[in-house]
Amino acid sequence: MGNLGEVHQLILSLAGWKMVFNLDSIVMSWIVIAVLLTFGTLAVRKRDVIPHRLQVVGELIVGSLYQLTEDAMDKEKAEKYGPLVVALFLFLTLSNWLGIIPHLDEPTKDLNTPLALGIMGFVIAHFVGIRSKGWKAYLGEYFQPFIIMMPLNIIGELAKIVSISFRLFGNIMGGAIIILVVSHLTFSVVLPPFLNAFFGLFVGTIQAFVFTMLTIVYISVQTN
Amino acid sequence: MDSASLTSLAANFGAGIAIGLGAIGAAIGEGHTAAQASPAISRNPQMAGEVFKTMLVGQAIAESASIFALVVALVLLFTNLPVSSYLTACAFLGASLSMGFGAIGSGVGSGFPAGATCHGLVRQPAMANKLTTNMLIGSAVCQTPSIFSLVIAFILMFGDYSAAAPAPLWAALIGAGVSTGLSAIGAGLGGGLVAQSCCEGIARQPRAAGALTNSMLLGQAITQTTAIYGLLIGFILLFKHHPETNSIAAAMALLSAGICMGIGGIGPGIGEGFTAQGAVKWIARNSEGIGEITRSMLVGMAVAESTGIYSMVIALVLIFVV
Repeated sequence: MGNLGEVHQLILSLAGWKMVFNLDSIVMSWIVIAVLLTFGTLAVRKRDVIPHRLQVVGELIVGSLYQLTEDAMDKEKAEKYGPLVVALFLFLTLSNWLGIIPHLDEPTKDLNTPLALGIMGFVIAHFVGIRSKGWKAYLGEYFQPFIIMMPLNIIGELAKIVSISFRLFGNIMGGAIIILVVSHLTFSVVLPPFLNAFFGLFVGTIQAFVFTMLTIVYISVQTN
Repeated sequence: MDSASLTSLAANFGAGIAIGLGAIGAAIGEGHTAAQASPAISRNPQMAGEVFKTMLVGQAIAESASIFALVVALVLLFTNLPVSSYLTACAFLGASLSMGFGAIGSGVGSGFPAGATCHGLVRQPAMANKLTTNMLIGSAVCQTPSIFSLVIAFILMFGDYSAAAPAPLWAALIGAGVSTGLSAIGAGLGGGLVAQSCCEGIARQPRAAGALTNSMLLGQAITQTTAIYGLLIGFILLFKHHPETNSIAAAMALLSAGICMGIGGIGPGIGEGFTAQGAVKWIARNSEGIGEITRSMLVGMAVAESTGIYSMVIALVLIFVV
């Protein structure tokens, strides 16, 4: 159990700044991206009115996620943010599933990945908010209901990044720890496949969905 | 007392605390589920087999929080963990408090959707599959706060404290456990309330099943926010470098930062759970109003959460300023 929390890191010094790269997360993210790109290319190749199998799967995923986006925003905005939502959901789902393959790790087990995606969603939401409401109305919201509430409102907004990214990180990390410890205690007999199915496939999918939906909600709250 | 015997003392004490506290919640939740199965069977005895099966599955999931606590207790008792100084003893104590308290809310909470599913099955037998799937999703999300507690417990137990100065780190280790554990209680309970009204709602209005599951996940996710603040304070207490000092006031500030965030996180979790429970329930009654109901739910939850944010601000002040 000693390898818990062990990470392969590449540390570069550049003009006095130390840059740390978590190699595991980078490689695993690129595996996920490669699988998604392959799937996407194969699904849209030889498109037809009578779809082939992969096209059906692709249309099903994209269609239902666009529908989800449309439920939260109006149709025009859903067209715009649909691709973001689909990409986010597919990337997270596949990332969370990756751990069930031996020797591969979930990139989401590294806090940096969820944090980066959380900050991305936050920046997009606030950019959209400023664009649709204008600076004045946007800044005015922070002084509601009283002017002295401003610091707390700002902390409340920033806490959204923390909550969205730690939720994903905690679940995936917790699942990985439970699988590791229980496998160790039972000498890897019988239990590990079920635990992998539960924490990897089931909880992984739910958490990817929750993350995606919260991002949609953050964007739609800013636009309305 | 030398640090080795102090550590084994803490391991034995901690194992008892972890599974003792951890057994409370799951037992209550499972009892609730079984209590709901009886009226369900009495209403429609022909569905008895189906209800009985669902009851057992629901109880098994409600028990998982206690099983996490059992795992922590077993690791404390039977694994030879590295002993560095009397800090290890404090870390064991923190780990057991984190997992023990953290299992309470999730255990009670995941009993609620299972009970509602038993009722739903006899009301709407055609929706059996949807109801069971929804119960599984709802209960799995309910376990999230207890998984957070487990993460902190394991980081505490397997940490290496040989290079660190004992004071005031001992207070930070216990504080991290208390913060994560206590703040998980409210979130687990609240998440269960949301899932309960979702299972009821699907039985009442099968056509709105998809929308209800989405609203439930959204409500549960936001209900967990204060548990995540607790986890954040726990991480800061664990990984921030605390300058060495023998002043008892500095140590107490770290310990009370944990207590402050932990207790402050209980209320918002339950309160937001009520908010989302009401929202999901009334979306099932009138699914036309989903947009307006969701919006008012989000605003209501944000307001209910503000006291949790006050606690977090005070905890951060205690850690970084005092």
